[in-house]
Amino acid sequence: MRLYVPILVLAVLAAGFAIFSVTFGALAGPKRWNKAKLESYECGIEPTPAPLGGGKVPIKYYLTAMLFIVFDIEIVFLYPWAVTFNKLGAFALVEMVAFVVAVLIAYAYVWRRGGLDWD
Amino acid sequence: MRHVLAADPTLTDFSQLIWWMVLLKVAIVFVFLLLTTIFMIWFERRVIGRMQNRPGPNRAGPLGLLQPVADALKLPLKEDIIPTGVDKLVFVAAPIIAAAPSFVAFSIIPWGPTVSVFHHRTPLQVADLPVAVLLVLAMSSIGVYGIVLAGWASRGPYSLLGALRSTAQVISYEIAMGLSFVAVFLYAGSLSTTAIVAAQQHFWYAWLLPVSFLVYLVTMVGETNRVPFDLPEGEGEIVAGHMTEYSSMKFAMFYLAEYINMTTVAGLATTLFLGGWRAPWPVSLWAGANSGWWPVLWFLIKVFILLFGYVWLRGTLPRVRYDQLMALGWKILIPLSIVWILLIATVRAWRNETHSGVVYGTAGFVLVLIVILAWAWDSGAQRHAARLAGGYQEGAAEPAVADGGDAAQSFPVPPLDLPHYHGIGVRGGAEPGSGAITGSGASKEVTGA
Amino acid sequence: MSLAAATIPAPSIEYSQLAPMLIVFGAAVVGVLVEAFAPRHLRRPAHLVLSLGGLATAFVLTCVIAGSASIFANGSPGHNAAMGAVAVDRPTLFIQGTILVLAFVSVLLIADSAQDVSPFAGQAAAAPGSPEEREGLLAGLVHTEIYPLTLFAVGGMLLFPASNDLLTMFVALEVLSLPLYLLCGLARRRRLLSHEAAVKYFLLGAFSSAFFLFGIAMLYGYSGSVSLAAIASTVSSNTGSTTLLFAGIALTGLGLLFKIGAVPFQSWKPDVYQGAPTPVTALMASCTVVSAFGALLRVFYVAFGNLTWDWRPAMWAVAILTMVIGAIIAITQTDVKRLLAYSSIAHAGFILTAVIAASAAGLSSSLFYLAAYGFTTVGAFAVITLVRDPGGEADHLSRWAGLGKRSPLVAGIFAFFLLAFAGIPLTSGFTGKFAVFQAAVAGGATPLVIVGVLASAIAAFFYVRVIVLMFFSDPVPDGPEVVVPSLFTGTAVGLGAVATLVLGIVPGPVLDLANHAATQLFVR
Repeated sequence: MRLYVPILVLAVLAAGFAIFSVTFGALAGPKRWNKAKLESYECGIEPTPAPLGGGKVPIKYYLTAMLFIVFDIEIVFLYPWAVTFNKLGAFALVEMVAFVVAVLIAYAYVWRRGGLDWD
Repeated sequence: MRHVLAADPTLTDFSQLIWWMVLLKVAIVFVFLLLTTIFMIWFERRVIGRMQNRPGPNRAGPLGLLQPVADALKLPLKEDIIPTGVDKLVFVAAPIIAAAPSFVAFSIIPWGPTVSVFHHRTPLQVADLPVAVLLVLAMSSIGVYGIVLAGWASRGPYSLLGALRSTAQVISYEIAMGLSFVAVFLYAGSLSTTAIVAAQQHFWYAWLLPVSFLVYLVTMVGETNRVPFDLPEGEGEIVAGHMTEYSSMKFAMFYLAEYINMTTVAGLATTLFLGGWRAPWPVSLWAGANSGWWPVLWFLIKVFILLFGYVWLRGTLPRVRYDQLMALGWKILIPLSIVWILLIATVRAWRNETHSGVVYGTAGFVLVLIVILAWAWDSGAQRHAARLAGGYQEGAAEPAVADGGDAAQSFPVPPLDLPHYHGIGVRGGAEPGSGAITGSGASKEVTGA
Repeated sequence: MSLAAATIPAPSIEYSQLAPMLIVFGAAVVGVLVEAFAPRHLRRPAHLVLSLGGLATAFVLTCVIAGSASIFANGSPGHNAAMGAVAVDRPTLFIQGTILVLAFVSVLLIADSAQDVSPFAGQAAAAPGSPEEREGLLAGLVHTEIYPLTLFAVGGMLLFPASNDLLTMFVALEVLSLPLYLLCGLARRRRLLSHEAAVKYFLLGAFSSAFFLFGIAMLYGYSGSVSLAAIASTVSSNTGSTTLLFAGIALTGLGLLFKIGAVPFQSWKPDVYQGAPTPVTALMASCTVVSAFGALLRVFYVAFGNLTWDWRPAMWAVAILTMVIGAIIAITQTDVKRLLAYSSIAHAGFILTAVIAASAAGLSSSLFYLAAYGFTTVGAFAVITLVRDPGGEADHLSRWAGLGKRSPLVAGIFAFFLLAFAGIPLTSGFTGKFAVFQAAVAGGATPLVIVGVLASAIAAFFYVRVIVLMFFSDPVPDGPEVVVPSLFTGTAVGLGAVATLVLGIVPGPVLDLANHAATQLFVR
């Protein structure tokens, strides 16, 4: 854990600075509020009561998030593999090629089905 | 040469904690990041000014150098607006969550070799971990939380859309970024930044692994939401994206986070691909170039060249469309990286054990795979191009019907397929209103014609 | 660049011993490729060849491995392949063989499109009743992804009972569950019911997986290993915290009992069985149950084999509750699929009585019961797909009234399956129940057997009630139509009926096989 101490110190300093700045900005600035100013900004038109059809989010983003998880997990496997690659020899190569090909097949499926297209 | 070799620090150097040294290094990094941000604001405006044949800021101080200071002083004195209806706690926390991790990520970037500070030998780096590069990825992921929460808490359509776009973009490019590191780890055999710099003693990885380096250069622009990938804040479409509702110092925090992230990814590029603090070639012939305090200079030069690249891009390139952005990330960078990793690993295994039938077999398989992938990719691209070029009529009619149906329910958008887009409506100019109102009907006429 | 100094010993993987699983997974992956690149009209035939061929090849390989001299040389109970992650032993091979045959029959049912419409939704993503759905139907869209999904699920089912450490088992559990969640939501008719089934199954399944994982963490905390053998040796050396151990047993047991649908973790079963497309229900009711029982047997025999005195009371309670509640609630059911779901719960209870025996006899009778029950279930669900209303399958019992007069053959076969469920002599159900209760009595669980016999009597009541309804009531006007079965469904029904009959009249060979498989219990 000793290795992490400097990082924690920097994290505390950074968080302290950010909190201080936000608080300072809130205290130092002028306060001349009016109703129109406090509405959410929509180029001057009346604000939408509930954004984007009741807070629903286009499903494309969910798909992107799920694909991200798939590939992020692939990366999670790739890192330790890469670090120990020179020590594991041909076995690691064969196994990882098999794994990557399996992921690539799923990737090809998603691509062909239009999962990667944004119209 | 003895001292040059000894100058390469190892992980054990970081487990000795001297409190004042830790605090000193943390303070230096902190101040450096703030100063770089301030400098970059001036630098960016001046350089872009020059690129656009205008002087840029030149009133405040010599060469306008005090301009960012004036900006920094102005921001806290602006009104701090918290719109009604926002989720207050999250709204206030989001800029903090965005800004704080960006500082932390820089802690594992090595500035130079072991030097002597007040008779203590210490590596010029705040910290190093066995998983140092993962820390950068982790911190950039936490930074994304700041963006998502900012958009969500603002309760405005622009903010939410901007946050979604930004998140989708950052996580998409993070995959390509993560994949571009794999080849480096494969060669260095470690995730620790000191070990990676040490492994680049003879060759920078930018030369050994050019594809990884290029992929990283693209993704580092995408990761930091900079031009030409600054879709989340595309002011023509969604005002300022997730920052729309923010003002005063809260806005400044997002701004700060963006510039610090730029510095961090530039520092990471230097460390992983450009030999870290090692002197570039002609200078490296001089024996003392890689010892003492000189490496800090080489490091800074490399980082600022990369930062100049950012500004150059901004001065040169227009913003890409969102589908182009995602297509570049998902359809080009990711498959390219994966294939590159397989290739590198095969070559590496070949060098490690020369006469293994398994390696030969796998190498053959990988080559065949690459050929198949290249062919599939190319034929797919050709089909796509053919669709775009040939099918103007059918290609135009199809989305128009779908969009017309959806748009009627959700929110008002102008019909996406008006006749005059195709140069047809010019003839029917006598009745301009009908085409605009019944967009889908008009487009059907077009396809019928 | 002297980093390649120390080499890590590369793990060894016995590909030949894992071949059945690898082939099923390989076929599934190739199936995804087919989905991605083959033109639409070629997909279904390609998938059929892949799925049926893959399952058949895997079955043949399983038989080859079971007959292999090298694995079982010198009286060895088996071999731990893939660095101890996957066990290759006789009970596992028996279970895997059973799963493969049952999966083959289920795929036949899934593939059946000779009837006017397939049982699967044309476009699962379209909202029920929406214009998109209608467009999809008119365009004749079909989801051929069903085949790779089924193969992935079957692959997970093969790995689940073979996993020799809890982590592999968890991965297998997820691999088998996730495709099933999807498949449940793909029914063509009554899509909201189907969606409800999928969501319920997913939520409850995810919940139980979380419990299972939590249990793994407890057991890891107890023994410092996730390997079943290591947990067993920690148990016998009596080191470690018993609190962690018992919490671990309870939580992992909960995860496994959920999959077999034992009371009090049964609530998903009727809804899911009813909502899912009937071929998928057949797959779940046969293969998943066999696989989950295999895993349950392995965990409780290998890891907790020395703790029978500790887990027996709880399992007694679960078995009694499962038998009694399954049988009693089934009486009130008016939907055929729900009825079979509750019957499946009750049967899980009967098999649990043999599990509790914790002996070779208990293991062998469970294996036999699972095989016999699996065939009968697949056959019964295959018959259900044949009885149709204009709006889909005629699930409501009232629609089945007088079916025996309109279509005596189909009603007769269904009655035969029901009699097998009830455990009437000359059916496989009788042999299975007899074996199971015999093992339980030998294991000293006579009260449990008495409860079991009583529950069978209750169960027999509602099975007979359906038979009476079919043969001794007047047919309903404009009653359901009985479709002439296609080759695929016909084969499925026929196989189920023949297996039920043969295992009832000459159970000897299969019983011997099960006994032979169980003599040495599981490999450690």
